[in-house]
Amino acid sequence: MSSVSREQLRALMGEVLATGGKALPDDDGALLADIGFRSLDFSELALRVEDEIDAELNFEAAGLRQITTIADVLDLLTEIQDQ
Amino acid sequence: MSGAASSNRLIDVRSGRTTTWADLRHVDIPAPAAVVVDSSFAALPSVKAHAETGAEFLVVAAGRMEQALRTELRSAGFAIVDPDGGVEAALVPRPAQDGRLWLLTSGSTGRPKQIGHTLASLTTVSGDMSARTWLCPYSPGTYAWWQVVTLALGSAGQDLVVVDPSDLDSWVAAGIEYGVTAASGTPTFWRQTMMAHKDRLADVPLQQISLGGEPVDQAVLDQLRTFFPDARISWIYASSELGASIVVHDGRAGFPVEWLDRDAPDRPRLFVEGDELVISSPHHGAGLDGAVRTGDAVVIADGRVVITGRIDSDEINVGGAKVSAGVVRGVLTSHPDVAWAHVRGRKSPLVGNLVVAEVVLTSGETAAPEVVEALKAWSADRLPDYGVPRMIKLLEEIPAKETLKSDV
Repeated sequence: MSSVSREQLRALMGEVLATGGKALPDDDGALLADIGFRSLDFSELALRVEDEIDAELNFEAAGLRQITTIADVLDLLTEIQDQ
Repeated sequence: MSGAASSNRLIDVRSGRTTTWADLRHVDIPAPAAVVVDSSFAALPSVKAHAETGAEFLVVAAGRMEQALRTELRSAGFAIVDPDGGVEAALVPRPAQDGRLWLLTSGSTGRPKQIGHTLASLTTVSGDMSARTWLCPYSPGTYAWWQVVTLALGSAGQDLVVVDPSDLDSWVAAGIEYGVTAASGTPTFWRQTMMAHKDRLADVPLQQISLGGEPVDQAVLDQLRTFFPDARISWIYASSELGASIVVHDGRAGFPVEWLDRDAPDRPRLFVEGDELVISSPHHGAGLDGAVRTGDAVVIADGRVVITGRIDSDEINVGGAKVSAGVVRGVLTSHPDVAWAHVRGRKSPLVGNLVVAEVVLTSGETAAPEVVEALKAWSADRLPDYGVPRMIKLLEEIPAKETLKSDV
């Protein structure tokens, strides 16, 4: 199974935002609420990752956690690819 | 409204303003009327007017009020009251029906359908209740919204904290500030809340948590339990057609299999036919009698009847919002570059399903990212945001078996 690197994840995240006419800032600490990255965007990003790795992501494995920044999204999606 | 409820507090999170039913401003409803509102709180004066006069009306969120719907409602005899107070007269005037309330539901074809109710048929909980402060997070005019609003209208001590669906990110802070003790939302709403507000969620003094509007699985119930070990966690099966039909308080997904085929006065009767849930309910809308096929699939396991989702795949449930695949397909195929489109829900984290599409362009091109972007923009101009296909795959030709289908 292939995996998507953090840089690739960032690029995909930028593409998802660009479709909605929004830009991804360079700072990984930026708040999702401030950049307008909403649950529909997060869900689309997850599907794009699934398509890249040709496997379903297992969110149950991630447990509950706070997702408020760009880094949180990148960390989560990096981690659960390995589950 | 009941006199005892007139002093219930109504809190508008957006403005920070607190009022009561008694102090809410007076409005006149030019019945029958469709009242268009740009916020949930803005609908409350009309609700009060209806409670006092029985004026026939329906509430519709501005974001849902498209030109076609406006024309349809005016043709059905409704005057349209816009958020600025402007009134557009009915195209076909008719006398108002006293006491009638209408709900707009996404009909099976995706076209909004009006379901007739009254305050009484929408009020499923009444009588003496412990005092609670309710979060009202729903889109104004929907069945779930009316459920919370009628509670605050009919029973003393039931305060409302009104937050708009577009401001939901702020609800946890508001819940702490205003002491929200009861909250109802879709499983998606709760999953999003647990993800975005993990640190502060447990500070909301919740005693009652309700889930509905989407299939409820055991995982989301268990996760909520970790935040609120002492709260009552309930899930509710309800629809605009049938009213509230199943309420389960034991913290488990599904309902006990013993509830099937059981006769009890004033209670809905539940059946399973094939794998479909069938309900005959005392709370149903006007003109709906007898057993109603719900279109929801069930699985029976370990003594529980678990609702798993829609049988009819036309309806895509995106985080509790319903989208018709047929309507989205119609929008795509109305684009001049599109020869064919297939629309479906794709299982996704957080919101349950996302709308995705496969499209054949008239040019037959399969590598045309600019056309894909144009189709998304085209859809965004014509559909609510949750209805816009998030992923569009271009196919070279129309799949052979699909061309044999009558609905394509």
